[in-house]
Amino acid sequence: MSHELITMDINTLIEVALIIVKVIFVSLTLFALPIPLTWMERKVAGHIQLRLGPFRVGPHGILQPVADMIKLMFKEDIVPDKADRRLFWLAPLLAMVPAFAVYAAIPFGDTVKIPFVDKEITLYISDMNVGILYILAISGMSVYGLILGGWASNSKYAAMGGIRSSAQMISYEIALSFACVAVVMIANSLSLLDIVNAQKELHWNIIYQPLGFIIFLIAALAEINRIPFDLPEDEGTLAAGYHVEYSAMKFSFFMLAEYVAMVTVSVLAVILFFGGWNAPLFLPEIPIFWFVAKVAFFIYFFMWIRFTLPRYRYDQLMTIGWKILLPLSLLNILVTGLFLL
Amino acid sequence: MANIFKKVFFVDFLKGLSLTLRYEVSKSITMRYPDEEKWLPYQRFRGLHTLNRDSQGRELCVACELCAKTCPTKCITVVPMEDDKGIGISDRIAKVYEINLVRCMFCGLCEDACPTTAIRMGRDYELACFSLDCAKAEKKRLLAPKEIPQELDGGYVIKARFERTKEGLKVRPDLSKKKRWW
Repeated sequence: MSHELITMDINTLIEVALIIVKVIFVSLTLFALPIPLTWMERKVAGHIQLRLGPFRVGPHGILQPVADMIKLMFKEDIVPDKADRRLFWLAPLLAMVPAFAVYAAIPFGDTVKIPFVDKEITLYISDMNVGILYILAISGMSVYGLILGGWASNSKYAAMGGIRSSAQMISYEIALSFACVAVVMIANSLSLLDIVNAQKELHWNIIYQPLGFIIFLIAALAEINRIPFDLPEDEGTLAAGYHVEYSAMKFSFFMLAEYVAMVTVSVLAVILFFGGWNAPLFLPEIPIFWFVAKVAFFIYFFMWIRFTLPRYRYDQLMTIGWKILLPLSLLNILVTGLFLL
Repeated sequence: MANIFKKVFFVDFLKGLSLTLRYEVSKSITMRYPDEEKWLPYQRFRGLHTLNRDSQGRELCVACELCAKTCPTKCITVVPMEDDKGIGISDRIAKVYEINLVRCMFCGLCEDACPTTAIRMGRDYELACFSLDCAKAEKKRLLAPKEIPQELDGGYVIKARFERTKEGLKVRPDLSKKKRWW
């Protein structure tokens, strides 16, 4: 009796330890991700503009992000005189924490067997039955960081950036959610694991939901504040937008949040429309590899778009959001519903 | 109709994306000077002056001071002296020949004025240094043999090596490997 109890306890202990290990691993990976991503972004920018990009620190400039990080750490942390100090301090965290919290619900693969130990571990922290809802809700939270950061800076450019970002989020969150709804209708589940499993054997949602995917992609670009929709940090009109008064590590928190959000959106695009970790075109299944490859493609795609398209005007942004994407996404749901019937 | 088709299928976007992708894979135009590459100027380039010798190794300069007279910035100092050892092509050679590179504006009038083609504008353009001493080009430096031969045509990029020595920074060209730039 007591022996049984002890073994059960050990099993639950192992489970808890596994979850903790997974959480630490995922968050460390996310903290480290901006290092290669900033390098990649600058390289992509350089080569698109027929330059070389960073080249001097390390071979092909690979250590440039590390140098940048050291610089950011040693910079003076300036707080404006009339800023709301508490909010000014809180805003970068509010931007960063939801970006990381999203990953609690994101599956990176199904299960893998660890060799030698013969134990199956799941490649996700938790399989929520409301996964997609949770992700949309939490990632929507991160806009508070932008708004409060803009407000607390007590600067007109920052405030304008914050206000712009809030209006932009409201406009595009709806289209984004509606694009996800059509996917949920096909999979008949809100759980991301079920959504991916419904896309097995090349029944990827991109085939059934091309319109939904385009709506998702455009709305996602607006959600993560990247060109062509980076109006909250529009250099031309707002200097740097909501983070104009931020410096040093606080600024880097905003940048971190932005890069993690980009990864999140790429991950969502892969899970919702490109079959998650399912291998494309009857290629062999390798755990995580296809997932990472697809996500990397989307990250590259977002960088590619950034250095191709110009920025939209603010009224154009609103027109696209409300007059085009919203009706189209509703139409998409209607058509999907008719087909499912 | 065509307009609607264009909008629905993002034709313009795709065109733009394909253009940037083409740029991305094409060769960069950045010259990696001074680490790996260096621009070799054309022969007509007006860089640091050179004092030349004739085929028997005699100095061509006869210290006539025409270059000093014609110089708009008066940066050339020539002090003549008599010589019967055959250093120069005549028995009058320059005792001192000094160009103040801080004042020189590289107009090339000295080259035009020279009756014996002794002074020529060369192709060395790395003249930056840490003190004003090296901004004076005296006779020895001007007479020294050049890294880049005068006959070599220019107008392309050559391989080079960046060197830090006690005398200063130097970009050593490798004349065997040339490539067209752009």
